[in-house]
Amino acid sequence: MRKISSRSFMIFIMTVAFFAGIAYHTVNLIAHSSEWITNPMNDELPSVYGLANAGKIIDRNGVILAQSVDGKRIYNENEDTRKACVHVVGDDSVNIATAIQTVHRTDLTENKFTGNFIFGLGLPQLFKSGDSVVTVGNDITLTIDSRLQRTALEALGSYSGAVFVYNYKTGEILCMVSTPVYDPQNVPEDINTDPAYDGAYLNRALSAAYPPGSTFKLITANAALNEIPDIEQSLYTCTGKDQVGGHDIVCFEPNGTVDIKEALSQSCNVFFAKIAAALGKDKMTAYAERAGFNSSIKFDGIESAESVYNVSSASENELGWSGVGQYTVLETPVNMAVISAAIANGGAPVMPYLISSMKGMTREPAVGSAIMNKETADKIADMMSYTVSSNYGRDYVCGALDVCAKTGTAEVSDDGLSHAWITGFSRDEDCPLAFSIILEYGNSSYSVAIPAANKVLTKAAELYKTTSPYNF
Amino acid sequence: MNETVELIVFILRLATPFIMLIIIALCFLSLGSGRRDEHALIALDDEDKGIRYPVLYWENSLGRSRGSDIRIPDPTVSRDHAVLLRREKGWFVTDTGSKSGVYVNGKKTSGRCPVFVGDKITIGVTTLRLKRADAPAISNQRKKVKKPARFGTVSCSFILSLITALVVILSVEGMLYSGRTTALPHAAIFLAISWIFYALSVKVFQRRSFELESLALLLSGTGIILNAVHDQKQGYSQLIALFLGICVYCFMIWFIGDPDRVMKWRIIIYLLAIGMLLFTLLLGKSVNGAKNWIIIGPISMQPAEFAKIAFIFVGASTLDHLQTKKNLLGFILFTGICVGIFFLMSDFGTALIFFITFLIISFMRSGDFKTIILAVAAAILGVMLILSIKPYIAERFQAWGHVWDYAATSGYQQVNTFIYSACGGFFGVGLGNGSLQYVFASESDLVFGLASEELGLLAAILLSVTIGGFMLYSRAVTTRSRSAFYSIAACTAAGLLVFQAALNVFGVVDLLPLTGVTLPFVSYGGSSMISCWGLLAFIKAADERTYSQRRTKAQVLRSS
Repeated sequence: MRKISSRSFMIFIMTVAFFAGIAYHTVNLIAHSSEWITNPMNDELPSVYGLANAGKIIDRNGVILAQSVDGKRIYNENEDTRKACVHVVGDDSVNIATAIQTVHRTDLTENKFTGNFIFGLGLPQLFKSGDSVVTVGNDITLTIDSRLQRTALEALGSYSGAVFVYNYKTGEILCMVSTPVYDPQNVPEDINTDPAYDGAYLNRALSAAYPPGSTFKLITANAALNEIPDIEQSLYTCTGKDQVGGHDIVCFEPNGTVDIKEALSQSCNVFFAKIAAALGKDKMTAYAERAGFNSSIKFDGIESAESVYNVSSASENELGWSGVGQYTVLETPVNMAVISAAIANGGAPVMPYLISSMKGMTREPAVGSAIMNKETADKIADMMSYTVSSNYGRDYVCGALDVCAKTGTAEVSDDGLSHAWITGFSRDEDCPLAFSIILEYGNSSYSVAIPAANKVLTKAAELYKTTSPYNF
Repeated sequence: MNETVELIVFILRLATPFIMLIIIALCFLSLGSGRRDEHALIALDDEDKGIRYPVLYWENSLGRSRGSDIRIPDPTVSRDHAVLLRREKGWFVTDTGSKSGVYVNGKKTSGRCPVFVGDKITIGVTTLRLKRADAPAISNQRKKVKKPARFGTVSCSFILSLITALVVILSVEGMLYSGRTTALPHAAIFLAISWIFYALSVKVFQRRSFELESLALLLSGTGIILNAVHDQKQGYSQLIALFLGICVYCFMIWFIGDPDRVMKWRIIIYLLAIGMLLFTLLLGKSVNGAKNWIIIGPISMQPAEFAKIAFIFVGASTLDHLQTKKNLLGFILFTGICVGIFFLMSDFGTALIFFITFLIISFMRSGDFKTIILAVAAAILGVMLILSIKPYIAERFQAWGHVWDYAATSGYQQVNTFIYSACGGFFGVGLGNGSLQYVFASESDLVFGLASEELGLLAAILLSVTIGGFMLYSRAVTTRSRSAFYSIAACTAAGLLVFQAALNVFGVVDLLPLTGVTLPFVSYGGSSMISCWGLLAFIKAADERTYSQRRTKAQVLRSS
C-alpha cells in the first residue's frame, strides 16, 4: 500500500499542472481584458460595423472624402468627387466589396473599454458614471488624389471601364476609378434595375478581368527575348494573315516586313502568335504566371480578381491567339499596371497600395517578385517608347511626360465589338507613373483609349510635374 | 429591473463565489479532519529476533524488497512474498508466488488463508506471531504517527443548507436576468433530490460523511441551474440524469463494498464494455462529427461515458492480485480496443482521456516508468500513423494555439469564450444575462466560459478547483483505504475527472486543442452526469469511513 501511495504522487503532479493552467488563464484574462472586451466580435458592444461614429476617410491632399457627423455618414461636398471616389471609399452599405468602408469598416471605428477587469461589463448602471465602453472613430488616409480621380472619371466619359494609376517607385495608388459610378450620398433607387448602372458596385480596376488583347504582347515579347536567342535579328513579312496550327491568325492590316520591335509597335498578331505557338504551352504559362496571371493581387486587406492564363486544352492555333491576348486570356487592369511598373522598374514591380495611414497599420515597401530580368525589361521599355513615338505620336499620348505605352483592342464578340486598352508608364524621374486604362466596347484603342490616357496623364503632369523637386 | 432589485442582485452576485468558497472549504476541511489516525491495527512479532512489525494498512505486502509495507530482512524471504489483508471476516494471508511458501502454524498454505491473533506465520526462516497492536510488545520501529489537524466538526446539513441557499440565489438571479425562462422548478426538484439523498445516506445507509456528495451536488446544482436558465428542457434532462447518477452511485458503493466480488466480476464487465462500444460503433448515430451516440426513441446516450467506469473496474486491482499477476497484457489489450474504437468514432477527446487513465492505472499498479514511456512512445507513433493516413483529422485542431487567426471558423468558440469571459470579469454579468449562450455548445463544451461570463471567473475557477480537489483527496486516502483496489480506483477516477476537466477548460481557453469533452458534473450531458457520479463512487469507496457503519453492524450481528 505504501508503494501505491507514493506512486499517487503522479496524480498530485497532474493536479498541480491543472491548477497552474487555470492560474495561467486567469493572468491571461486579466492581461487581455480590455482588448478582448472591445473585440469587434463582441455582441455586447455598440456595433463597429455601423458608420455612425466612424472616422474620416481622407485623400492624399487632406480632402475629406467621408466623415460621420451626428451619426450620419457625410461624403465629400462635391458630387463629382463623391462619384469619382465611390469605388475606393464605398457607401453606407457594403455593396462594393473592395472599398475601404467595406474592407476596413471595423478599423474606422474603435470601442474603448473604460472599466476594469474585476467587473468587466458586469457593473450595474447605478455604479457607473457613463458607459463602460465608448466608441471613437479612427481616420484612414489614402494615397489617392481626388483631383486626378475626377479627371479620370471625365476621361472615361460614357464608357464603362477603369483607370488605374500608381507611382511605380513608391507604390502609392494615385487614381483608381471605375465606371459606371453612383453618388454614395444619394444612392439611386433604380441602381439595381437601370442598365446604366450595370456593374456599378464593381470596382473594375480590381475586380474585373478582361481579354487583354495586344497588351499581352508585352508578356509574349518578354518570353521571346528570353527564350529565342536570335529573336531580335528575326524578320517576318506580314501579309495580314498567316496560318498557325493549320488555322488563320489575322492582323488588323498587313504590316509588311517587321522585326520584333516593329511588330510590337505595329501590333502584328501573326508575329507574336507564331512565337507563342513555338514556345509552347508550358513556357507561355510560366511567363504569364510570373507576370501575375492565375493569382490575385493583394494590398491593404483588399484582394483583386485573378488574371487568367489557361491554355491546358488549347489547340496550337488557340495557343497562338493566347499569345496576342485573345483566346480565353483575361487580365485585371491592376495587374496590367503592375506589369508596366515592372518594365519601368527594370523587371521587379513595386506593388501598389492604397492606405497611407491607418491606426495599427505599419507598412513595409512591397517589392513584387521579378516579372522579367532587367535587360529584357529595358529592351521592352525602349520598344514601348518607340511604339509611342513611331505609331501613336508623342503629343497624342501625352506631350508633358515621357510616356512608354502599348495599346490593345481586345475582341470580345464575333460581331467585332472590342474593348479598348492602354497600359504604360512615364519615364519622368519626378513623375514616375504606371497606368492602365480600359474602356469597355471602346472598339478603337487608338481613338478612344489613347485620348483618355492623354487626359489623365496630362492632369497628373500638371499636378505633380510642377511640384519640383519631386515630393510625392 | 428597478434600481433596488438591481442592487440586491448585484450583492448576491458578489456573494456567489464566496458562498461557493465556504462550501468547498468546509467540505475539504471536514474530509481532512474526519480521517482515522494512521495507527497500527495489529502487529507481527518476530519473537526470535525481538522485532515488532506494526501492521498499518488493510492490505500489506510482506517481503524483502524495500517497498514492502512489512519489510523482513531475511534472505530466504522472496521480494514480494505474501500479502496480509483484512476483510470483513478477519485477517488473511496470501502467498503471492513466493519461492519458499507461506506456513500458518506450521501448515503450508495455498491461496487465501485466515489468520487469527496468536497464529504463527512462517515465511522463509522467519516466524511471525500475529498480535493485537495494543498488546505490550518490544518497542521497535515505532513510526511517527501522522495525526491530521483537527477541525471543528461541521454538520453536513449545514453545508447542504449553504448549497440550498446558493441554488436559490442562482435560480432567482437567472429568472430576473433572463426574463425568458425560469429555473425555479429545477431548483425545487434539485433540492428535493439533494435532501432526500442526504436523509437516505444518513438515516438508511448510516453513513457519517456527506462531504464528497455535497461537493458533487454543488457542481451538479450549479450546472443544472446554468442549463435550465438557458434551456428549461435541458435542465429537466439534467435533473433526471442527476437522479439516475445518484442511483448508480449508491449501487456502486454497495457493489464495490467487497473488493473480492469485484475481482470476480471483472471479466464480465470487461466483455460488457467492449460489447457496448462495438455496438455503438456499428449501430451508433453520428452527432456533431463523433459517431458515439445510441439513440432509442426519446433517449439518447453516449456509451463511452459508461465505459469509463468499466475501464477503472478492469484496471484497478487488489494487492494480492497485483503481486501475483504482474503483467498488464489483458489491460493493455482492453485499452487498445477502447482507444481504437474511439478513434474510429472520431471521438478523440474520449480516446485521449482513456489513454491518460491507462497511464495512471498502469503507473499506480507497477510504478514502472518504462511502461509509461513505452506507452507514450507507442501512442505518439500511432497518432502519427493515423495522421499520415487521414490528414484531415489534424485540420480539426488547426486553430489550436492561434485561435485568433481562425476567429471566424474553427477558433470561433474559443475566441468567443475569451471575449465573454473578459466581459464577465470576476463576478460575472449575471446568470442568463450573457452572450456566450448563443454560441454553439455553450452549455457543454464551453460551459467553463459560460460560467465565467455569467457567474464570474471566480465561480468558474472554484468549480474547476473542486474537481482538482477530488484528486488531492483521493491521494490523501490511498493508505487508509480498505484495499489497493480502492486506492488505485480512487486515484484513477479522480485523475480521469481532472484530466477531463483540464481537456474541457483548457480546450476553450486554447491551452489544449478543443476536443468537445464535458466538464464533469457541470456540463450539459446526461450520460456524462451519470458516469461522473459513478466515478465519484470509486473515490467515496476509498475512504474507509464509507463502510465503517456497516462493518460495526456486521460485527454486532456476528457477536450476537
